[in-house]
Amino acid sequence: MKSAEGRGRTLDEAVDAALIELQESRRHVDVKILSETPEETVVEVTVIDQTAPSMGVAPAPANGKAELAKNLVEGLLKHMGVRAQVSVRAGADPITLDISGRDLGGLIGWRGETLRALQSVTNVMVGKHLAEGERVIVDVERYRQRREHTVREIAMRAARQVKMTGDAITLDAMQPFERRAIHLALEGDPDVTSSSIGEEPERRVVVGPRKSGGE
Amino acid sequence: MESNGGSTSRRAAAERIRRAIALINAVADEAGDEEITPTEIAEAIRDCLELSEVDRAPNVRRYLGEALDAVSDGMPADFVAMTLYAALGALREGA
Repeated sequence: MKSAEGRGRTLDEAVDAALIELQESRRHVDVKILSETPEETVVEVTVIDQTAPSMGVAPAPANGKAELAKNLVEGLLKHMGVRAQVSVRAGADPITLDISGRDLGGLIGWRGETLRALQSVTNVMVGKHLAEGERVIVDVERYRQRREHTVREIAMRAARQVKMTGDAITLDAMQPFERRAIHLALEGDPDVTSSSIGEEPERRVVVGPRKSGGE
Repeated sequence: MESNGGSTSRRAAAERIRRAIALINAVADEAGDEEITPTEIAEAIRDCLELSEVDRAPNVRRYLGEALDAVSDGMPADFVAMTLYAALGALREGA
């Protein structure tokens, strides 16, 4: 099994340093802290045998399109001078590429704008290999996944408040994928409904009480 | 040194480009909360072209024009978005 030693000011930095050396993603490694002081953390990162059944996570399918997209994004990042690790998210549909590494805030950009641009370029470049309607999602440090999770929580909180007060709530302006996550989170709720108002990029979701059919 | 008016109009141009991008992303993400037509996207791009600021930075008008052509030709949403991101980048570089 491959392993590497990583050093950094924090645990995250030390792990990232080792991951870059190993060209691996966090999900495929085991981390052992060798020493930890206020100044420096040293870790040993070992790649886990992905065929082992104990992982509980299905390995990424042998998907030629996903590999193609992964190679392409790796190439783009190299040209951009970004040191990062690209992996195909296991079992994800649509194809999802996870980029991980150190200091990738610039790759996410203002409200995820740079990440979004990278995703558009990726889809244009691999487009001819994809079926109609098929897309590749690019995520940096699980930013997109975290945002979806956050907005779903916001939606649930708003729904609870609407049920208590009976008044509609207008949420902050959000990106389309975030609004979609809210609509999906609330679509099964019999007491509240969600709709969007306003124009892009200031379009907002309104969560309000669901009116009965007779009204 | 640039006047405040210059930076304000550049910001306005960037906002218009972002609006067009957001419309396209809504289509690509299937946000499911609005029916967005190619005509609306084309209008949003034309709104960008109306601003004189797009001529003050190289290539911004060119990229916007290409994006408009891409919408007319029924090119995929990602292609249009990529071209608009290029326009946004050119606008920033011209700052």
